[in-house]
Amino acid sequence: MVSTNDYHSDYPNHWCPGCGNFGILDAMKSALAGLDLPPEKILIVSGIGQAAKTPHFLQCNCFHSLHGRALPIATGAKIANHHMTVLVSTGDGDCYGEGGNHFMQAIRRNIDVTVLAHNNGVYGLTKGQASPTSMEGMKTKMQPGGVIAGAFNPLAVALSLSAGFVARGFSGEGDQLSDLIQAGIRHRGFALIDILQPCVSFNRVNTHKWYKDRVAPIEKSHDETDLITALRLALGTDDRIPTGIFHRRESPSYTDRIDKLNDKPLTDHRYRPELLKALLTDGYP
Amino acid sequence: MTVDISVLIGGEAGQGIQTVGLLMARTCHMAGLYVMAINDFESRIRGGHSFIQLRISDRPVHGPARKLHMMAALDERTYGLHQPELTEGGLALIPKDHADTMAQHHRCKMVDFEGLAKKAGSSILANTVAAGTCLALLGAPFDLFENVLKLTFNQVEEKRLAQNVQAAQYGYTAAEDETFKWSWHWAMTSPKGRLVDGAQAVAFGALAGDCRFSAFYPMSPATGIIQRLVDMAQTVPLVIEQAEDEIAAVNMVIGAAFAGVRAMTATSGGGFSLMTEGLGLAAITETPIVIVNSQRPGPATGLPTRTAQADLQFVIHASQDEFPRFVFAPGTPFEAFSVTARAFELSERFQVPAIILMDQYLNDSLFVAEESFEAPETVAPYTADDDLEDPAGYRRYALTDSGISPRALPCKGPALVKACSDEHDEEGHITEDADIRDVMVTKRFAKVAAMRKEIRPPEVIHAGSDILLICWGSMRGAMVEAVNQLRVDDINCGGVHVVDMWPFPDAALSEILEKVTQFFVVEQNQSAQLGQLIRQQTGCQYTDAVLKYNGRPMSAGEIIDAIKTKLR
Repeated sequence: MVSTNDYHSDYPNHWCPGCGNFGILDAMKSALAGLDLPPEKILIVSGIGQAAKTPHFLQCNCFHSLHGRALPIATGAKIANHHMTVLVSTGDGDCYGEGGNHFMQAIRRNIDVTVLAHNNGVYGLTKGQASPTSMEGMKTKMQPGGVIAGAFNPLAVALSLSAGFVARGFSGEGDQLSDLIQAGIRHRGFALIDILQPCVSFNRVNTHKWYKDRVAPIEKSHDETDLITALRLALGTDDRIPTGIFHRRESPSYTDRIDKLNDKPLTDHRYRPELLKALLTDGYP
Repeated sequence: MTVDISVLIGGEAGQGIQTVGLLMARTCHMAGLYVMAINDFESRIRGGHSFIQLRISDRPVHGPARKLHMMAALDERTYGLHQPELTEGGLALIPKDHADTMAQHHRCKMVDFEGLAKKAGSSILANTVAAGTCLALLGAPFDLFENVLKLTFNQVEEKRLAQNVQAAQYGYTAAEDETFKWSWHWAMTSPKGRLVDGAQAVAFGALAGDCRFSAFYPMSPATGIIQRLVDMAQTVPLVIEQAEDEIAAVNMVIGAAFAGVRAMTATSGGGFSLMTEGLGLAAITETPIVIVNSQRPGPATGLPTRTAQADLQFVIHASQDEFPRFVFAPGTPFEAFSVTARAFELSERFQVPAIILMDQYLNDSLFVAEESFEAPETVAPYTADDDLEDPAGYRRYALTDSGISPRALPCKGPALVKACSDEHDEEGHITEDADIRDVMVTKRFAKVAAMRKEIRPPEVIHAGSDILLICWGSMRGAMVEAVNQLRVDDINCGGVHVVDMWPFPDAALSEILEKVTQFFVVEQNQSAQLGQLIRQQTGCQYTDAVLKYNGRPMSAGEIIDAIKTKLR
């Protein structure tokens, strides 16, 4: 049995004390141990930002890539070896800003990766500028008059693209978050878990208490197979912030739909020159 | 008897100009002739002007001709535009409606291409009628052309084949009362080599390089390369994905390569600009990738369907900071094939990005390639998962004398693989340590010494000449022809063609250049980029440069005239 200790890393962690990322990291370890997945079976792809540093703080295979580009990297890696369990550790700026188009297209492809989007509504690594999910009117050093643009709603966008697994977690609700991550990894296809978290250094609006006062688990009666109900829930009608699984419905993933991959991953084929001979000697263009 | 005949067929986009070029090239090829066909088209789906220029010979031809012997104009505009290119005594086949403009240094014959096409079933067959008339006048037997039509259309439908044969017959009949002064007896020998365009050659090379994944975003002229790959991918373990943009394309390729398959993308300069961020990522993470940049004139959108060689300095330096990379610029379809396969192997062996510079001219033109395109018997695996003694202690960026670290793959064994775009330590963790930074830059550059050994020296023709013409990439054909003609004209010159561009073949070129009195660079850009590079890397200053940058391929005739002027 895999335990959370198997994921322990000695690499020094420099997140701010009280950062929501710690709760997310713990939930990841407990989810992975809960699924009995050893570190050598998972690949975590990340972009740039504080969230993207996560794979350094646990035992795993990782590709710490470029700002916004985690999803294309993860897509290529998954196509090359679809037997890997691929997680994407990203943030609101990384995933919804710089990588916004990649986010939409990855959903359309239904590539089987689990996206953990650390969403703190602010840029931490670059010290406090607005992010795509900053609330309208939030004042920062760069936006002294308040953020003008409306906040990006990742869940509504994902649902509008018929994403197969859409959930919201909160860094302060570790057990629930661990369950969501497990469900996301089990889901065959694209899974988005938008994870609300406070930024103790730069977001003075959405504090731990602010979230605590608002988050509430989605009611048990919610039909997670009904896309429209999920979308209504994601668009929100009052101050409450529902957490849990908004929508879950499996359909064949990107790699499921490629016949060539039924047999084995691309990485497992040996080179066969005899297959090429006919192609290379073929007559006219 | 020597045959060297140029034929142009032109009309509007949508009139099947490229198809007719292919049909005629196939006909010549089947008769055992050498042929090349250069496509010239505008960035549009319908209307405008496009043409194909065929050069037909009984000796190998590798470059465009400047003068035309025959022209078939499917519209009035084609005649107006290309009539000055007709050589004295040339023949223009023009549509019936436009009989008024009769320049007198060449002959004109009216052929109602469209009317005959309609009679055969549809006005869209005007291209086949024109091909028929041209081939009849050149002296090609009808049954040869009919066979080519059968080969081309038999997979489509019977009705279409029958209509095309009918159209071809009308075309032949229309030629009956006309003669072409350079027609020759078609001896029908066995076909020479294969008819291939540069795009297909790159795709062949990718297969021979064991490419398993490709991602792309459509961009002229590179799209043809991926199209060829798609056409051939059915029976091999190769997955091709159309990405949302070039940024995603290169990053998908990096992800796939990291996971353990050989991967490539193809684009043109604009897309390559978007990929430069990913190029740097591949470099610092030491992930092997192959990028083809099929050049076109820029900057920005430039001339989308035309040719250029103006990205050499760009791709050598692309991305912030500095790192080792391979850059190749093939000059023929066979070189495109072999260089592409080599790029995969070298990229993987050295864990560095490899860039192949094609261009629209080489990409889209048809050539006869006499070399055989063969896949290697084995492809060496360079990944090290099975031979790790201590998987638990695996370090992706372990320091070695060669700079090359053993490369385990993620999720393929107990070794944990950490790749990182930040400067990193041996394990792949982020570091800010000044000493480690020094060590890692040195490690990456340590590969260069061995990379240099893989660089093949430039090809030299007529070594020992007083004067040299030096070119790179697709300029090879025209340069070689120009050199041979200049020698006939009593100018003691030779030629140098550079394919392996980076790491730059400094020593080999220095040795060649020391022995000559003058050397001229021949390039399709404004600033003599190879000339600058030679000066930078060898200290040798080129005498002068023959440059062209209007988007059209340079012919041997243009080079000859320019050199003669410069030598005067």
